[in-house]
Amino acid sequence: MTAQALQIDRELERLDGLWEDGLQDTYKSYMDFVGAYEPAERPRLALAAALIESGLRLQGLGGPAAAAAPLLMGDLCLARASRLLADHASQTLQVAFARAIEKMSANAASGEAGGPVRDFLVLALESGR
Amino acid sequence: MIAQRLRFKTSSPTQFVDITEKLREEVRKSGLRMGRIHLQSLHTTVGLAVNENEPLLLRDFESLLERLAPTGVGYEHDDFARRFKIALDEPINGHAHCRQLLLTGFATLLVENGDLVLGRWQSVFAVELDGPRTRELAIQLDGDFDKAPSPLAGEVARSAGGDAHASTAADRKLVELELTRQLLADPDPVAVPMRRLVEAGGKRLRPRLVQLTAHIGPRHDPLRAAALAAAVELLHNATLIHDDYVDESTHRRGRPTVAAAEGPERAIAVGDFYFAKATRLIAEIGNNDVTSTIADALEAICAAQIDDVGLRGAYPGDHASYLKVVRGKTAALFAASCASGAQLSEAKADEVEALRRYGDLLGVAFQMADDMVDFSPNSGKPVGLDIRQRVLSLPLIYAAEDKEVGPEVRRLLAGSLGDAEVNRVTELVRSSDALKRVGDEARALVEGALRELEAIELDGLRPTLVGLARSAVDRDS
Repeated sequence: MTAQALQIDRELERLDGLWEDGLQDTYKSYMDFVGAYEPAERPRLALAAALIESGLRLQGLGGPAAAAAPLLMGDLCLARASRLLADHASQTLQVAFARAIEKMSANAASGEAGGPVRDFLVLALESGR
Repeated sequence: MIAQRLRFKTSSPTQFVDITEKLREEVRKSGLRMGRIHLQSLHTTVGLAVNENEPLLLRDFESLLERLAPTGVGYEHDDFARRFKIALDEPINGHAHCRQLLLTGFATLLVENGDLVLGRWQSVFAVELDGPRTRELAIQLDGDFDKAPSPLAGEVARSAGGDAHASTAADRKLVELELTRQLLADPDPVAVPMRRLVEAGGKRLRPRLVQLTAHIGPRHDPLRAAALAAAVELLHNATLIHDDYVDESTHRRGRPTVAAAEGPERAIAVGDFYFAKATRLIAEIGNNDVTSTIADALEAICAAQIDDVGLRGAYPGDHASYLKVVRGKTAALFAASCASGAQLSEAKADEVEALRRYGDLLGVAFQMADDMVDFSPNSGKPVGLDIRQRVLSLPLIYAAEDKEVGPEVRRLLAGSLGDAEVNRVTELVRSSDALKRVGDEARALVEGALRELEAIELDGLRPTLVGLARSAVDRDS
């Protein structure tokens, strides 16, 4: 299914290459975890989670540092997700996602293996309801 | 347990005095985190109520009280001939006592996370029934308090005061205390590098803009403004940490960058941590307009950073590309700082937009002045650093367009840049009129920014905002 059909194409400006390159699959995975939210909110919340996961992967958080270009693309993914959450998510969910990123980046900074990114973000989706 | 009195003056026979903000301030000053605030009227003609502060509704309440206990209908209490021990100034106020019976003389409000627990439309009123007079409520706060008395209390009082100079100084102190407090709470692997960057100084222009514009609307709250200002500064620093890695910068504010001192992996993690923490702190403030304003700015910054790196292939670029990048990389957060401070204080929409434009113009002018500093021998920084790092710079763009020096500038920039080449480019830029053109353009933008302020009621803040804008451009460092 295309981003246009999912009505999230406007949120993919400058990120279109990423959609074909794995973001779409990540998005579909998160759609399985947003069932408890209002139907109209689900696509954007799943996309926000997918952008965070893809952004952190692009940056190489917790592994070897990415080069400049993917790092900046990762930053844009995080910023886009943050804006999506600011516009469409409750304060509780915004805080839950932010805390998940804080936890993962603190783990990375201290050299600890913190577990898969998806586990943190799914937990945030569950606790942010 | 803390006990105190809240005094206030009333100006009408019947008056609903909204004391919500005063109570919030008492809670903040006390350091009460979780617990209760108990209120008790010390008068038989002052009641308490929790309801909506909507002027027409307050008139409805007044009419209701008048219907239920009308004035001048012959209350036995007012028949002084039948009473004894009457004070010389005893008022005729039987109606007021009867009205107080319909209200309550005491109330308990819950406090959670250092703030009153109130619904969206709830305000707390002291209801004057026999004014005008000076009145007093007894207050007790109990529950779990911060361990030490809040060091912010004095600064909060000064920030909220009417003296603009004292207020600005207090605001600055508040934001430094808030930054220190936030960094103390974080794990060392991320807090230590960020603390080094924060303690190295910086101009703190963005937090100052937040705090100044937070005075403009009717709801100035120094602590919330300081929380937002500190979060904006952390966000700015988080973007700098990633930028320094991308630009391969070794020093910032005279100290090694996080990437240079601790490696790129740590720099990415520290940047991400404070990006997330800052957005969380802003979300926790609970003002949707503020959250959206900052989120939009952050997106603009990241997009512009990608454009900036993309333009390095066509270095030094042109004026249009320069403006596009600078509007995103620098001006977006200046504009958001101005707008979000005003939004936090519930300023009017047209004031918010005027301040957003003020911030945008000031941000572009600030960046132009920053570009000029690279050519100043008095800046304390190595001259020509921007050239060496191929950072977008308006003086270089103008010098490259110059009929006389342009061809040589373009030829030098197209090759590898050693000391000799950087020194020669610097010399060529200084010998052209590029620096003068940039200076004139930056000053014109500042004047445009100041014109945006003309339609806004700024009380005593105008000189500070004007001075801040002019000093952002006329500087050597």
